[in-house]
Amino acid sequence: MSESSDDRKWLDAHFDPVAGLYTFSSCLDLAELSGDGESQLVVGDLGSGSSGMKLKVYRGTALVSESSLLDLPAGLVAFFMDLHEPRIPAVAVASGPCVYVYKNLRPYFKFTLPGLEVNTLEQDVWQQAREGQIDPLTLKEMLEGIRKKADVPLSFCSLQFLSLDASDMDEFVQLHKQQPIRRQTVITCIGTLKKSTADEDGVSCLVIGTESSDIFVLDPEAFIILAKMSLPATPTMMDVTGQFDVEFRIMVACRDGNIYILRRESDKPKYCIELTSHPVGLVRVGKSVVVGCTDESLQGFTQKGKKLWRIVLPAPITTMASMDLPSRGFQAVLVGLANCEVQLYRDKNLLSTIKTPDVVSSICFGRYGREDGTLIMTTKGGGLMVKILKRTAAFEDRDSAPGPPLAQSIRLNVPKKTKLYVDQTLRERENGLAMHRAFQMDLSRLRLAAAKTYVKALESSLTPVSSSLSEPLKMNAVVQGLGPSFKLTLNIQNTATCRPVMNLAISFLYDESLYQMRSPYMRIPLLVPGLIYPVETFVECTSDKGISDIIKVFVLHEGRNCPLLTAHINMPVSEGLKLH
Amino acid sequence: MGLFDKLAGWLGLKKEVNVLCLGLDNSGKTTIINQLKPSNAQAQDIVPTIGFSIEKFKTSSLSFTVFDMSGQGRYRNLWEHYYKEGQAIIFVIDSADKLRMVVAKEELDTLLNHHDIKHRRIPILFFANKMDVRDALSSVKVSQLLCLENIKDKPWHICATDALKGEGLQEGVDWLQDQIKTMRT
Repeated sequence: MSESSDDRKWLDAHFDPVAGLYTFSSCLDLAELSGDGESQLVVGDLGSGSSGMKLKVYRGTALVSESSLLDLPAGLVAFFMDLHEPRIPAVAVASGPCVYVYKNLRPYFKFTLPGLEVNTLEQDVWQQAREGQIDPLTLKEMLEGIRKKADVPLSFCSLQFLSLDASDMDEFVQLHKQQPIRRQTVITCIGTLKKSTADEDGVSCLVIGTESSDIFVLDPEAFIILAKMSLPATPTMMDVTGQFDVEFRIMVACRDGNIYILRRESDKPKYCIELTSHPVGLVRVGKSVVVGCTDESLQGFTQKGKKLWRIVLPAPITTMASMDLPSRGFQAVLVGLANCEVQLYRDKNLLSTIKTPDVVSSICFGRYGREDGTLIMTTKGGGLMVKILKRTAAFEDRDSAPGPPLAQSIRLNVPKKTKLYVDQTLRERENGLAMHRAFQMDLSRLRLAAAKTYVKALESSLTPVSSSLSEPLKMNAVVQGLGPSFKLTLNIQNTATCRPVMNLAISFLYDESLYQMRSPYMRIPLLVPGLIYPVETFVECTSDKGISDIIKVFVLHEGRNCPLLTAHINMPVSEGLKLH
Repeated sequence: MGLFDKLAGWLGLKKEVNVLCLGLDNSGKTTIINQLKPSNAQAQDIVPTIGFSIEKFKTSSLSFTVFDMSGQGRYRNLWEHYYKEGQAIIFVIDSADKLRMVVAKEELDTLLNHHDIKHRRIPILFFANKMDVRDALSSVKVSQLLCLENIKDKPWHICATDALKGEGLQEGVDWLQDQIKTMRT
């Protein structure tokens, strides 16, 4: 699809190539934070990856708020945590083991994941170190022993200690021995789940996926864990639908390359989708799931994990997002590709391609400002792009998808069966055998007649093509002039591949009372294969009665009485009179 | 102006003109029309218009009937049904909404290319509204962004306005009145 056609669908509302936004789709959300009907863009900016992590809010084309984050954001969601008026959503930022909740863009609450079970041996060893019974070197040896044997992994503190040089150990032990040993996991992904109503502004629970392969559902007001579910592997992306109190479904893409589907009734996955390569994007469209994989493919699955389709993309996927426009009943998937394109797919059909000046690293589609169909993208270089879907834009299905052409499904206007047609079919059905016999007989007769004529032509050498194998010749004759003088040109060609033909002559047979020929016998020069040799002579019509006759031409081989070729030339009627 | 018109003017019978008031949602169309109405007929609360509403107000020599169209995306397809009746167009722009300036331009281009408008010499008055907002664009900047200089075959005029206080509205309406008068004679 050409770029121009996409210009007809999207309006370029804003492009700031140096916005300095470094983020991913999971850290991008649109929410009405001001409560005045204008949606704002909330971004968890990863900064340089080690510093400059910020929570940024954009309104229109301007950055309106910026606050520092303590750690790298793993995910960001806007959600309604209470029923207070005016309905202003809170923002939850997941980073490290905590979820930071912001209300009115001010820090409001910090939720920390519960600690994990700590190895008792490890605790004892540290206890001894605290009491000064063992020196740091012995501590290191003992911890290493525990690390090799124990089923419960060591705490972060111990692991850090083991990686130190001997010179730094003493200081580290002094610094850390007073602190209790804790083992903490981190959040890998975050989502929201409506509590009891499906309303747009209904209260939502937070759903958190952790490094320790667990999924937690948090109560939005008290921030207590409402449900805990465990997975076989660490979750990386998730999609949540339904309501916590009624029925819900959590689809989780995990680091083992599988997608697990969790339901309300069980704390273990109900279905599992095994992918051939690792998932990089997970988007739900209506009742199906679209998964982008590292093998540059896009795959569609049902809610129960049945594979529907798979297509190959032109480049690796950088990010994916859903495009949902309820006002037009339009749902599709936006796929950011490494070749600076964003493609829009409805099921497996490519609807549109947007070219971007840089590789897109995050995509978000929804209501921004007062415009419902707004596409927000950030690029690898930190740029921010806002495009607005035109009111008149229409996406045609099956734009460029392969498959049967559209013409195939158009019904032909087949006329009704006439009485004649029915009678004929009946007759054919009844007399099929006789008709076939008659046809076969006629066909045989036709073949016989054709063979007879052919043999006759061969016998009398009537053909203008020589059948002799040693002298394959072809001739055609051209008569020029109005009369009484005619010019007769005979074009002779040797059709052999490499052998020349020699010792040929041409002779004519004609009615001497009608015609007079300048040279009724001619010798033909050596014929080189492939070339056309014109042989010319003049014929004079001696009669003035306006009649014509045939002149027979023979190509002869010297010393043989049978002609190689024969041609009959139908002379035209002489239209002039000879001047005396 | 003919004798009859003058006579009609003395008698208080003013000529009726139909004007379309167009623009994106939240640009201030209803507020502008409300300001133009006599002060005893003004509404206190302005709510988003649904569909359209018909308002009437009078100037020194003309009686305006304004079709105040809703600017919401889903009602914008109603606009074109009233193009035929309109003898003038008021196009309101939210100068503070930089993001949606492209949408305003898109809607204006669609309007100007519509077959009911394209070949008519119909005056268009632009109100670059919300000048009171702190970082609003100037009327010059708005006309640049909307490429108004490309409108060659229709008289147009842009005014910077603040509909809440009513600033700049009268200048625009005076221009429109002059245009309609010259168009008729």
